[in-house]
Amino acid sequence: MEERQLAAIDRLLEAVEKPARYIGGEINTAIKPRVKETAAFAFCFPDSYEVAMSHLGMKLLYYIINREPDMLCERVIMPWVDMADGLRREGVPLFSLETRTALRDFDIVGFTLQYEMSFTNILEMLDLGGVPPLSSRRAEEDPIVLVGGPCAFNPEPIAPFIDCFLLGDGETAVVEMTRLIKSMRLAGRPRREILEALCGIEGCYVPSLYEAQYREDGRLSAFRPLSAAAPATVRKRLEPDLDALPYPDEIPVPYTEIVHDRVALEVMRGCTRGCRFCQAGILYRPVRERSPENLLRLAEKLIAATGYEEMSLSSLSTGDYGHLVELVSGLMERFVKSRVSLSLPSMRVDSDVKEALSQVSEVRKSGLTLAPEAATQRLRDVINKGITEQDISRSVSDAFENGWSSVKLYFMNSLPTETDVDLQAFGDICRLIIDRFRQTPREKRGKGLSISLSSSTFVPKPFTPFQWDAQDDMDTIRRKHALLRETLRIKGVSFSWNDAELSRMEACVSRGDRRLAQVILRAWQLGCRMDGWREHFRYDLWMQAFEECGLDPDFYASRERDRDELMPWDFIDCGVTKAYLWRERERALRGETTPDCRGGCEGCGLKRFPGACALA
Amino acid sequence: MKMFVVYSVTGRLRYIGHLDLMRAMQRALRRSGLPVRYSQGYNPHILLSLAAPLPVGMEGLREVMEVPFEGSVSESEFVARLNAALPPLIRCLGARAVDDSHPAPMALLGAAVYRVEPQESAGQLFEALPAMLSRDSLPALKKSKRGMVEVDLRPLIYNAFVRDGSLKALLALAEAGTCKPELFMKALSEQAGLEAPAPFRCVREALYTASFAPLEEA
Repeated sequence: MEERQLAAIDRLLEAVEKPARYIGGEINTAIKPRVKETAAFAFCFPDSYEVAMSHLGMKLLYYIINREPDMLCERVIMPWVDMADGLRREGVPLFSLETRTALRDFDIVGFTLQYEMSFTNILEMLDLGGVPPLSSRRAEEDPIVLVGGPCAFNPEPIAPFIDCFLLGDGETAVVEMTRLIKSMRLAGRPRREILEALCGIEGCYVPSLYEAQYREDGRLSAFRPLSAAAPATVRKRLEPDLDALPYPDEIPVPYTEIVHDRVALEVMRGCTRGCRFCQAGILYRPVRERSPENLLRLAEKLIAATGYEEMSLSSLSTGDYGHLVELVSGLMERFVKSRVSLSLPSMRVDSDVKEALSQVSEVRKSGLTLAPEAATQRLRDVINKGITEQDISRSVSDAFENGWSSVKLYFMNSLPTETDVDLQAFGDICRLIIDRFRQTPREKRGKGLSISLSSSTFVPKPFTPFQWDAQDDMDTIRRKHALLRETLRIKGVSFSWNDAELSRMEACVSRGDRRLAQVILRAWQLGCRMDGWREHFRYDLWMQAFEECGLDPDFYASRERDRDELMPWDFIDCGVTKAYLWRERERALRGETTPDCRGGCEGCGLKRFPGACALA
Repeated sequence: MKMFVVYSVTGRLRYIGHLDLMRAMQRALRRSGLPVRYSQGYNPHILLSLAAPLPVGMEGLREVMEVPFEGSVSESEFVARLNAALPPLIRCLGARAVDDSHPAPMALLGAAVYRVEPQESAGQLFEALPAMLSRDSLPALKKSKRGMVEVDLRPLIYNAFVRDGSLKALLALAEAGTCKPELFMKALSEQAGLEAPAPFRCVREALYTASFAPLEEA
């Protein structure tokens, strides 16, 4: 970067809110020397620093790429709007935190996609970093733009912006991709050849080598590769043995406070519960656990290298981890003296956690979080959330007896088959919890019960049994929110919900096709960015973008699909078959549950991946 | 016992806030394995107290904090182990063991020396300095909890002179009264007849007691 631009960065840092977001220099970050042969990878996160630095996947891949002698990885994070505007005004390209290198000066620009409503931030970051947002406009010397993460499983709405997607586990694939790209760039191979070569790596999807055709009514009619190098079906990348993969034993420690400011230890990947609304539960199959010995070793190293005072056990369903009690006891033994506290997020209320809970509370008392998702047994059966009222009752009683007094409840509204009875039952659950609190002896329970209940509007996602379903229309969502506000006027209960407009846009983008990319591009040109942040979300501009592009949001969000409709993501084999998902949908509509497949194979399709699923 | 620790915060790390710096210190102390003391209660944290918050954007060359510890650790070992754990832009420059009953640095603090570099109109400002210092009073508006209040800055400016193209200012920094560099520069800009306060860079070079002894030696 030029002297003038570096001076401008200093000026901007004097003026922006939270300048610590942009300074880098955190402990355990890497500044590696760069020579011509080094593959320079910019790991991009399309949300604020506080969100980015809370993300485990970024720390994981950052560590993995930087341990390769011929590669370097630096972080580039979406600047807050004040900084973004400042960079544009001063003519300073978006830069890496480590060395203030412009985004366009990397070999590879790799985004992780955790959330659909961060798509406009990709365009904003590319544009700020001097990389043409449309891949068709990129010149030979421009970086290759990669994307991974759960949202890559419906790649079509951002297909024109991305050179290559990686579907599935990234640990070994990212190194293979980086090495291949760099060696071909050094050899002076053209972009097109590099992209065709990437198709040979399992999990890679190169959108420019495929074409989509549509019927008159807008539905997809055909989707096929245009090159012999591109496979008709792209199979996700799957790492069967987590213990065999590298895992960071040191992670960056931010100065400024972030969302999850602690060591996160990924105990396992995948989930066998089969909740029918949950995309992650399908995409991360099969369940793969790390050994407790490996985890204890990593935990000790991470605490010593970071100085963190808190650790969480992370996974989709930590309560199901096979060696939970052994692991928690081992951690407590090591951490009581050094005063490290342990938190267990996303615990299933039906897990056998009593013993673990009582140990955790020795160090730190925090709140209990429960996610019943639906308030009636009927609807919980529809979504296959295997929790009963007794489970909830038992969990809160246990927690209250251990001195806890705050409960967070996560629900969804607008689930398939939902009626007002299901919504009014939110209040019954709260009253049940209040009863249990009152029944706990005064000397045991904490002071002042507080229940915070949040409800998010259901968004049908690809690769779930509800991928065919319509989302509630806006009027219905608004009416349901009003009903919930009325129902939840209960002392000690606070209720929050998310914007109906945002949920609707999320539904459009989640199941969008390639045509939707025009809308995203137009919305960004109109000024949309940071859409996930209420204060920046501009529904009016999104609507304008839809209108200008001649597309109908209802087509994407509130339309029920036919069983045989060709979905924009059907060319991806995520491990679970479409036939299984349809069978699950039919069961859902009949109110039939499907048991956890650890008790017996339900035939989801993962068995087709040799050696992937260890379950009987 | 507790350690009086001298440290610097420089370069890009001048942009971290006071609480960020506290956390960074606590985590460095954890990494160092030094025998520090913890607070009681459910969320125990390392006890430590910084003499004065360093404003965001300002470097500090000789800041002071106290760190209570137990057992025995020599001053030089403390410095070495803390430095090994600190990020490169925070440096521990010295440590002195004092008794627990010794007053906290915050209580002893009285003044600070700043190096102020005007980014515009430096000549005019330097020329105006003697006239400003010769005045009996310098009324200024200062933000307080009850809104804007008028204060007299003059008794809070102990000394100021020009050296090597920048201003050195010894300003009050105490519970009883503080003159922030912003207010000093605002008054000087007015004295120089500038329409708006001149933009400036500022470094806090050292902290002193009310009797102008180096704080770390008090």
